[in-house]
Amino acid sequence: MEPSRNIRRQPAWHVFASEFGEATLNEKGPGEYDPSFVITRLGAKINRCLVAGLLERVEARETSSGQTMYQGQLRDPSGLMYFSVGDYDPESARESILGLSRALEEGETMHVMMIAKARWYQTDEGAIYTSLRPEEVVRIDPSRYSAWLARTANATLARLDAHERAQPVVSEGPAAMAEAGIPSHLVPGLSLALPHYDGASVEQYRLHVLQALDIAEGRMDAVRSEPAKLPLHGSNEDGGSAPAEGAGTEDANDVMKQLIATLDQGQGVDYETLIRNMGARGFDAGLADTTLDALFDEGSILEPNFGWYRLVE
Amino acid sequence: MSDHPYGDHVALVLESCPDASEEDVVKAFRQYEEEFFIPPQDAMHSIIRKLQVSASPPATGKAAGAGSGSTRAAKPMRKVERLEELKGDDQNVEITVQLVSHNVREQTVRGEQRTIAFGLLEDQPYDSSTPSTRWEYKDWAPKSELRAGSIVRLEGASVNEYQGRRSINVNKSTRVVVLEEGTAPVVVPGEPMNIADLPKEGNVCVVARILGLRPDVIHRRDGTGSIDVVRGRVADDSGSIGFLSWEPLDLEVGQLVKIDGANVRTFRDTPELNFGRTTTIEAYHDAAFASAEDLEAASAQTIADLRDGARDVRCVVEIHEWQRRTFTRDGEERHLWSGQVADPSGRCRMSAWEELPIAEGDLPVTVRLTGVRVRAWQGVPDITVDNADQIEVLDGPPWEESIDFATHSVEVDFDELAEGGGRVGVSTKGLIVSIRDDSGLIQRCPECRRVLRDGVCQDHGAQDGQEDVRLRLVMQGEASTISVFLGRDAALALLDTDLEGLRAAIAEHGAMAWVQSLRARYLGRSATLRGRLLVDDRSSMFMADALEAIDEDGAMMATEARAHWEVA
Repeated sequence: MEPSRNIRRQPAWHVFASEFGEATLNEKGPGEYDPSFVITRLGAKINRCLVAGLLERVEARETSSGQTMYQGQLRDPSGLMYFSVGDYDPESARESILGLSRALEEGETMHVMMIAKARWYQTDEGAIYTSLRPEEVVRIDPSRYSAWLARTANATLARLDAHERAQPVVSEGPAAMAEAGIPSHLVPGLSLALPHYDGASVEQYRLHVLQALDIAEGRMDAVRSEPAKLPLHGSNEDGGSAPAEGAGTEDANDVMKQLIATLDQGQGVDYETLIRNMGARGFDAGLADTTLDALFDEGSILEPNFGWYRLVE
Repeated sequence: MSDHPYGDHVALVLESCPDASEEDVVKAFRQYEEEFFIPPQDAMHSIIRKLQVSASPPATGKAAGAGSGSTRAAKPMRKVERLEELKGDDQNVEITVQLVSHNVREQTVRGEQRTIAFGLLEDQPYDSSTPSTRWEYKDWAPKSELRAGSIVRLEGASVNEYQGRRSINVNKSTRVVVLEEGTAPVVVPGEPMNIADLPKEGNVCVVARILGLRPDVIHRRDGTGSIDVVRGRVADDSGSIGFLSWEPLDLEVGQLVKIDGANVRTFRDTPELNFGRTTTIEAYHDAAFASAEDLEAASAQTIADLRDGARDVRCVVEIHEWQRRTFTRDGEERHLWSGQVADPSGRCRMSAWEELPIAEGDLPVTVRLTGVRVRAWQGVPDITVDNADQIEVLDGPPWEESIDFATHSVEVDFDELAEGGGRVGVSTKGLIVSIRDDSGLIQRCPECRRVLRDGVCQDHGAQDGQEDVRLRLVMQGEASTISVFLGRDAALALLDTDLEGLRAAIAEHGAMAWVQSLRARYLGRSATLRGRLLVDDRSSMFMADALEAIDEDGAMMATEARAHWEVA
């Protein structure tokens, strides 16, 4: 008989931010120590993952219980990954994040790779968010970043392939899926993902894979794209001048809504980003803050997670 | 500013950061792109952030909800799906299981003769996607609803824990709800089966020839005496199986017999026939039945086939290392010979309790082993030779290729390795996904070599530890992980340093920062490793003789991925 190995460590999935960020399905066994999983549209059943990207932000926040929580974001070619490290996380992970945060404050630019646990939560409004709890964090050089891009692109392509093969046979059960050439480690996730996401688009992942491959191959010219054009307050028609004195509350509301609409990559937009962008458009922090409150009160925006805002659709 | 491809991006950045110079912004975009492979659309956010003087926003009071405190009130009925969720002292449990086997037996309980039933059950009978766990059960007041193969819901069962093994007790008060009648084949008494088709547990009948027979003694664990038994091996065309008889046998090697009412029990990883009072063994006549010689030849095994607990094993191996060790037991000096053997399928250890006619100068020596047994230590087989007459020295190996023992490592796919049993002399390739905090210098107990925690050994108390080096890693393949240990030599070789250098490095940075520096070097990288995989009930670990990180070329990997998946 095979030895029972029920306490095996969960492998780390290679996944891009977009696939992870768009996941809305989770699974948790009934037992106290059962692992929990985030299941992506492509059927990755993620308890733990290996992600990398440009470290964009790390901030300390006080939690209600008086502990310090470090929140931050990593950017890969497909979008942003959000992570947080608290007092209950391994000391080494906390120390690493602190060290990276200091380097970031000193203006350094760096790639970070992390092994992290997938987290999943649902707001009272029903919106579902994923984030990461880092276990081991390292700063990596660009060559390791490009190896990660290539590996993650490869793993994503394998999932896209399995996703396609699974469509016609998923209803016939795991045996039929194995028959259709789907690797056994993708069968449990796809069995859950296909019915849940039912027809949700996955083609964007192919695009992100191609961008990642271009970057890994050093073809930067191929991946440059035009910046998203923000409909800027006081834009060209009045000569690009600064906003007029006493820009009205109406204006502030509209600009704020436009900012949120443009900057939201699926997880909402954080408070600080909004305040700064409002600042850049001539609205001071106080006005921006009251604008947020006003929009929240009138029901135009949501605060699904503390300090993160989304438009009500 | 000279021409650059970042026009609109620069304009946007300047809009957010009016104080920055265009030159700096272009430089930043160029640096992100050339040094960090970040396209301008992705770099913009970071650059704005960097250039803006941080005006930290006013912190607002409220915060995310408090952690979910789990309150666990004692529930009258504990309903679980998996056996693993049960603790040793759980009472009043509800679980749905499939009965793998069901045997009825008379037993004396507190001086009273009682009928009880026992067997094996499996959890999650309706979930084929996850492996089921098997436990033993006892039914103290045998219920007619319990039958081999049935799927039942037990309500009000309890857990029994004895010497770390948990089992299920079906009590008088336990309610049994039959969800599905047993469909498992019920073996008809008297209907012989092929040995190869025997179930892992259950009552069977076979027609087979006796290949081996020898008296043995089993000592009761509690020291209340010993039982005389007979061990041996029987075979038919389909295979062979060892047996253990609790009754004296009046049989001869080579005799063909029909054995009815034998019980298959799986000891360690090896099934075995058990003969008891209710087993009938009678002579059988079949002129067409394979001869003892043919059956013996067919039952020879290779090292890769060896499983823990196997007895009466026949195989041919090459002995490559052979040493005598001396130890003292009960004041008497005794010897044990042991060494390393190989055949084309792999390597393993061999031990002998008697001196064998093998001189160290003659190695390698090819020998035929007959009637030997196999013990496994952490999943790695060790052939045990009890008597010198179990071996026969051959002139040379029966296989053609020569085995170079030093490099005899078999390359195994990572996931295949992770799913299988213990292996010696293997190499594989995987990805380093964790470097554990307790890597580095450790203190070992001078008595038992166990690692001391805060200077204290689990068994031997406070000790002056012996310093040693150990690295603990986790590596993964496509879908599985293996814990990897590097001992002193392998660790120092990987780090390209000596003990002094390692001590100095750890002293300089502190243990935690030193481990972090290892992560910075190795986390997320591919590596090859060579060594042995040890497997026990709880886990598997790879003891690496060597680990080598691979330098990977992302551009090359990307091109390969394009080719493999046929994407432009």
